[in-house]
Amino acid sequence: MKEIKIKIKDLTLHYGQKLALNNICLEIPDRRVTALIGPSGCGKSTFLRTLNRMNDLIPSARISGEVLIDELNIYDRNIDVVNLRKRVGMVFQKSNPFSKSIYENVAYGPRINGINERKVLDEIVETSLKRAAIWNEVKDRLRDSALGLSGGQQQRLCIARTLSVNPDVILMDEPASALDPLSTSKIEELIHQLKEQYTIVIVTHNMQQAARVSDYTAFFYLGELIEFGKTKTIFTNPTIKQTEDYITGRFG
Amino acid sequence: MERKFDIELNKLNERLVLMSQLIQKQVSMTLEALVECDVPLSKQVVANDSEIDDLDVKIDKLCQRIFALQQPVASDLRFIMSALKINNDLERMGDLSVFIAKRVSTVSDFKEIINELKINELTEKVDKIVKDTCMIIETRRTVFVKDIFDQAQVIKEESRLISSRMIEQMMEKSDVILVATNLVQILGQIERMAAYSKNIAESVYFIVEGKIVKHTQFL
Repeated sequence: MKEIKIKIKDLTLHYGQKLALNNICLEIPDRRVTALIGPSGCGKSTFLRTLNRMNDLIPSARISGEVLIDELNIYDRNIDVVNLRKRVGMVFQKSNPFSKSIYENVAYGPRINGINERKVLDEIVETSLKRAAIWNEVKDRLRDSALGLSGGQQQRLCIARTLSVNPDVILMDEPASALDPLSTSKIEELIHQLKEQYTIVIVTHNMQQAARVSDYTAFFYLGELIEFGKTKTIFTNPTIKQTEDYITGRFG
Repeated sequence: MERKFDIELNKLNERLVLMSQLIQKQVSMTLEALVECDVPLSKQVVANDSEIDDLDVKIDKLCQRIFALQQPVASDLRFIMSALKINNDLERMGDLSVFIAKRVSTVSDFKEIINELKINELTEKVDKIVKDTCMIIETRRTVFVKDIFDQAQVIKEESRLISSRMIEQMMEKSDVILVATNLVQILGQIERMAAYSKNIAESVYFIVEGKIVKHTQFL
C-alpha cells in the first residue's frame, strides 16, 4: 500500500441523538483515488465532510475521534479551518460556479489568499484550467460568464477553482451524477490524471464509476464502515457478504 | 419480484447445466460405442453434435448480452466469466466425442484387442469423471474438486500406459499398425477429456471461492 495521507481513528458522529457514523477507522492512501460507496443515508457523504470539517457548519453535529492529515489532527483546537479547507478542497454534485467570469472564478481563491499580481494570477488560472482539462475549451473566452458554460464544463471549472489554491486532498461528492455520459467520462479521465498529484476521495452512487475511477473502495452501511480494500478486490471477490450483496444489487 | 438480471443468470445456469447433460450423454455413448464396437451408436454421436454446437452459441450470446447490459461484478462476474470457459470446455469435449466416434469403425473389427487392453476399465473411469464434473457444475460442490483432479491424473497415467503397450504391439506385429495407430489417437483424446474435466473443476472452484487454482499445485 502507498503512504497514508489521511488516518481516521475511532471517528463517531451524531446529528442530535442520531448516530450517523459509528467508530470509523480507515487509512486513506496518498495520491490515490478512494471511493466511498453505500446506500443513501449510510453516512458516506457525512464521512466525506468530516475530512475538511464541513460538518462544523451543522449545529447539531457532534464528533469524536481523530482525523489525521499528514499526522496532524484536523480536529485539534488550534487548527485554522479556513487553512484546512484550502488544503482539502471540495467538489460538489451540482456545479456551483460564481456568477463571475471564468477567469475570476479561478482567480477568486488566490485573490482571497492575497495574490494580486496579474502575472501570477494569469499563471495560476492557466495552470488550474489546464489541470482541470478545460483550458482548450475556454482559453479564448476567459472573460465570459462562467454561467454560460455547459454543465460538464462548469463542473470542470469548479475543479479548476479547487485546484487554484493548491490543495493536497480533493473531496468529491457525486461530481458527475448530474452530467451526461461524455462529460462524465471527461471528469473520470480528469480524476485519473489528478491522482498523480492529489489524494482524491470520491462519493458516488454509480457503482461502475467507483470501479472505473478508484484504486480503493470503502463500503459504508448504516453509519458503519463495512469493508475497505483495493477496488479490484472489492469488485471481484469482496470478503464480506454485505458488500457482495450491495455491489451485486441484491441488498435488503 | 425477481430482477431481470437474476432471470438472465438463472437462464445461463440452466443452459450450462443442460449443456453438461448433453455432453455427459455424448461422452457416455461414445465410450460405449468404442468398447462395444457399436458403429451405429457412434454414428448417432456424430449426428447429435449439431445440437451441442447450437447450444454453445446460445450460451456465448447470453454471456455477451449479460456483460454488455448488466455490468456484472463479484460472484456474478466470476460466474459469467467461468460460464464462458466451462461452455467452451464442454463443447470441446463434444468435439472429442465426435473425433472418437468417427474412428470407431476403424477399430470395430478388433474387439479382441480392445478387450485385451482393458480399455473398458479406462472408459468407465472417464464416464465417472465426466459425470462428477457435470454434477459440480450443477451443485457447485467444490469439495469434489480435488477428487476430480485425482481422477484426471489416474486417467492420464492409464491411457499413456495403454498407449505404450499399443506401440509395443505395433513393433511386434505389423498387421496391427493401422488399428493401433487409431487406438493411440483415441486414447489421446480420452486423456484430453479428463483434462477438460479438470479445467471445468478449476472454473467451478473459481466461481465459488474466487481463487484461481489452475497452474498451481492445488490442495
